[in-house]
Amino acid sequence: MRYDSITGAIGNTPLVRIDPAVHGLRHIDLYAKLELLNPFGSVKDRAAWHMARPQLAAAMAAGSQVVELSSGNTAKALAVIAGMHGLSFKSVTNRMRVPEIKDLLLLLGAEIEELPGQSECLDPTATDDPLTVFHRTLAASGSAYLHTDQYFNTRNTEAHITGTGPEIVKDLDGKAPDWFIACVGTAGSSTGVARVLREHDPGVRVVGLVAAKSDFIPGIRTLDEVHEVGLFDPDTYDTIESVSADEAIDGLLTLNRRCGIMAGPTGGAAYVGAVRHLRAYDEKLCDETACDENPGGEQPSEPGGARRTAVFIVCDRVESYLSYVRQRRPELLGRPRRKYSAADVSDAEALAAPSITVPDARAWIDREGPLVVDLRSPYAYAALHIDGSVNIVDELFEELVHGGLPFSRSRPVLLACPVGEKSARYAALLTRMGHPDIRSLEGGIIAWRDAGAPLVRD
Amino acid sequence: MGGALYLEPRLGPRLGSLLESDHLLHTLADALGSPLGVVLPDQLAENVERFRSVYRGHHLAGQIFLAHKANRSSALLRRLAATGAGVDVASLGELQHALGCGFAPSLITATGPKDTRFLWLAARTGATVSLDSPAELDQLATLVRAHGLPRVQVLLRLSGFEGSGVKVLTRRSRFGTAVPELDAVLDTLERYADAVELTGVAYHLDTTSAAEKAVALEGCLLALEECRGRGLAPRAVDIGGGFGVNYLADRAQWERYTTELAQAVLGTRPPLTWGGHGYGLREDGGTLRGALGVYPAYRPVAGARYLDDLLSRPATAFGGRPLATLLLEHLYDLHTEPGRALLDQCGVTLARVLETRDVGSGPLWVRLAATAGDIGLEEHGILIDPVLLPREPREPGPTGEPGPPAGPGGPGGPVETYLFGSLCLESDLITRRTVHLPRRPAPGDLLAFVNTAGYCMDFHATQAQRQPVARKVAAWQDRAGWRWCLDEEYWPITPPGGQQ
Repeated sequence: MRYDSITGAIGNTPLVRIDPAVHGLRHIDLYAKLELLNPFGSVKDRAAWHMARPQLAAAMAAGSQVVELSSGNTAKALAVIAGMHGLSFKSVTNRMRVPEIKDLLLLLGAEIEELPGQSECLDPTATDDPLTVFHRTLAASGSAYLHTDQYFNTRNTEAHITGTGPEIVKDLDGKAPDWFIACVGTAGSSTGVARVLREHDPGVRVVGLVAAKSDFIPGIRTLDEVHEVGLFDPDTYDTIESVSADEAIDGLLTLNRRCGIMAGPTGGAAYVGAVRHLRAYDEKLCDETACDENPGGEQPSEPGGARRTAVFIVCDRVESYLSYVRQRRPELLGRPRRKYSAADVSDAEALAAPSITVPDARAWIDREGPLVVDLRSPYAYAALHIDGSVNIVDELFEELVHGGLPFSRSRPVLLACPVGEKSARYAALLTRMGHPDIRSLEGGIIAWRDAGAPLVRD
Repeated sequence: MGGALYLEPRLGPRLGSLLESDHLLHTLADALGSPLGVVLPDQLAENVERFRSVYRGHHLAGQIFLAHKANRSSALLRRLAATGAGVDVASLGELQHALGCGFAPSLITATGPKDTRFLWLAARTGATVSLDSPAELDQLATLVRAHGLPRVQVLLRLSGFEGSGVKVLTRRSRFGTAVPELDAVLDTLERYADAVELTGVAYHLDTTSAAEKAVALEGCLLALEECRGRGLAPRAVDIGGGFGVNYLADRAQWERYTTELAQAVLGTRPPLTWGGHGYGLREDGGTLRGALGVYPAYRPVAGARYLDDLLSRPATAFGGRPLATLLLEHLYDLHTEPGRALLDQCGVTLARVLETRDVGSGPLWVRLAATAGDIGLEEHGILIDPVLLPREPREPGPTGEPGPPAGPGGPGGPVETYLFGSLCLESDLITRRTVHLPRRPAPGDLLAFVNTAGYCMDFHATQAQRQPVARKVAAWQDRAGWRWCLDEEYWPITPPGGQQ
């Protein structure tokens, strides 16, 4: 396929059937709409392009900045689109909680502004909530901004009325599915697709998925937050159900490991929400058709009848959410233990590590000139340190000892850290590794300072 | 009414035990009048220890200073002095009070905008002065030189920090010196070296966001580096307070309540407030606009845990090392100034029910012998239920007691109420929300408003309509149970007063 611009590659994403052996539904074919295959990586490419496109020419003439309230995929797509047209982009948010996304946006040249938190000593009559202030700023500055306004802009929904929805119908041989399941973020994709499907078949059941109230799944709003979305209309959905972050990661794992679909947590949430919702119907169909006990086996929905179909949206890719997964399920990213590590040193071993008090250390330095290694950060070292010492920050030191002793055995070493805790661990480890004369400075640099011993700045 | 929307307060063991002593509380309110503040000095000592354990966990030295403005109580201040913690004073009166309660001047920090009398007493006694502005520095140095005062230890309060990478927006502060002016202020400080000694820098941000505070703390570390580069020898960072309190017992209640409140504003359920007040939310074409302007009353990470979380955050300007590690390895002391967080679970405000009135099918009207100013919870946007302490134990039995008429939920069941204050003023509502109580209150009952010691006990109290300001008592436990004395009679000696 040949395109003149990458934006031509937005949309026309595949619809892929999930293997029934994975989801275990016997009467329902479950299809994933792979929005993660859009060129900038998510379903938001469609809305971002559709919203920005008509305003780009004017924005380029005026040199406007593109702005949006987004914590992730819309910002990513807009950053690219703005960059392609020589415009700058600013994302304003209080929800950006995934560090990789932040870094990626900075890499793409976006400017990020985080809204301030709530006042601790609250004035309940204040009218300066950050969002109101944001909108006031946009209004005041006239044409200086191209605000795509994804939560209220009907072109967000329209992108899916003209794109996503018809594509699903076409790929299902001109029929709407029996169920459509989508996570609710800006409500653009679910509203747009639902409208198209219902026009084909008013019997389509639409399931909206939201995050549990105190939970956080990127790109999904909670039950309360959806009401702040202008495009959200409760009548779009037959039911609204909630999904937890833990379930979203379970779904992500299933799609990644068993289906070859590299979905992020939002897609995982949609999968789990879909299977959970459909299971009850599947069992009912089972009772009606008296199907045999063959989990995963495909059965007709009605005696001699057609099978049912359901479609869910896989919104974006897994790669940007590794820290999100690590934070919630660290065991999934477990690595084998290293041979030498300060973490292996027991408290008893650290207590028994060779150490030396400040006055004795000063005499030792004068007498034998041990190598003094300061384990603090370079910033702290640069500010004040023991004269003649060498700075190897603890993180780097840890890397060095993984490979073996970083000092010759013939050279005595004095290790120093802020309070003598880390240095004791490393002294114990290096002694275990065979160094004959390594000591930890008791009480650390703080004890050194408190004893009135000299600290210098070079 | 199975759907009662409670917001039950979180009660620690000490406060919980006090509320179970309802006979004592009724006796106190009978004797000393309604409203009545009760403070628990021993709880403050326990809270100090909780903060200290966070310091120990990060090996950090430094002092905890209670923000005095959060409560005027003498008992609390005297008990605090006995723990060895410090106090942060914001007026001449507070400084005098702190000195009188037994704080050594080295444990007193004078903050906020100050007048000459306040500066003089701070300088004369040797309290640390947290400088609010360059003009205040001029004023202080002039005062020290003119009156031959001892050299004053000063902290430089900074504001307007900028992070790197992501721009973290912060509300503009009225206080402190903007970071870009740092150089000029340090020049001035060096000129005044005979009069003042810079011991560190400070910030205080009025925000719940730890991310904003992390940017400020990082900014302070950079500023201190500037100071050291000039040959100054600062030793401390004062990171102010704002660590917050978790007021509610149950996350589910908070989530359900706030969801229902939003539904009420959208008009999809009956109102939950007097006059349809939306607490900052409003409906606009079926969409919720505005922002919920209430305190995040359910807050699992608050107080000492919030401090721990802040200190564990990485500093981007310093290669992502945790802030606590950076403070430690730069050899800086950490000073904190918690107010609300240090006074968590330290007090309760009692108010007598004067009248109950049935008004059609709506909520029951309950008039209290207290004003909204006496119970500052609403003023601070803190939505929690009071605890009902009946005057007489009432048993909803078939024995046909004459007692209360049936509420909407039948006798003994939950009722919806509006709580009105005692002022002759339409707006004197203890809270604008409909409060669900587990049973119908009767005249003579007490409502105990829990956890008011931080900012909600006497901060807004007035003598409007010549109504007296609430009296205050200190209460503590010994082997015999609960003991009490008037707040001003309390000294941290067992028994208080030390007569025996």
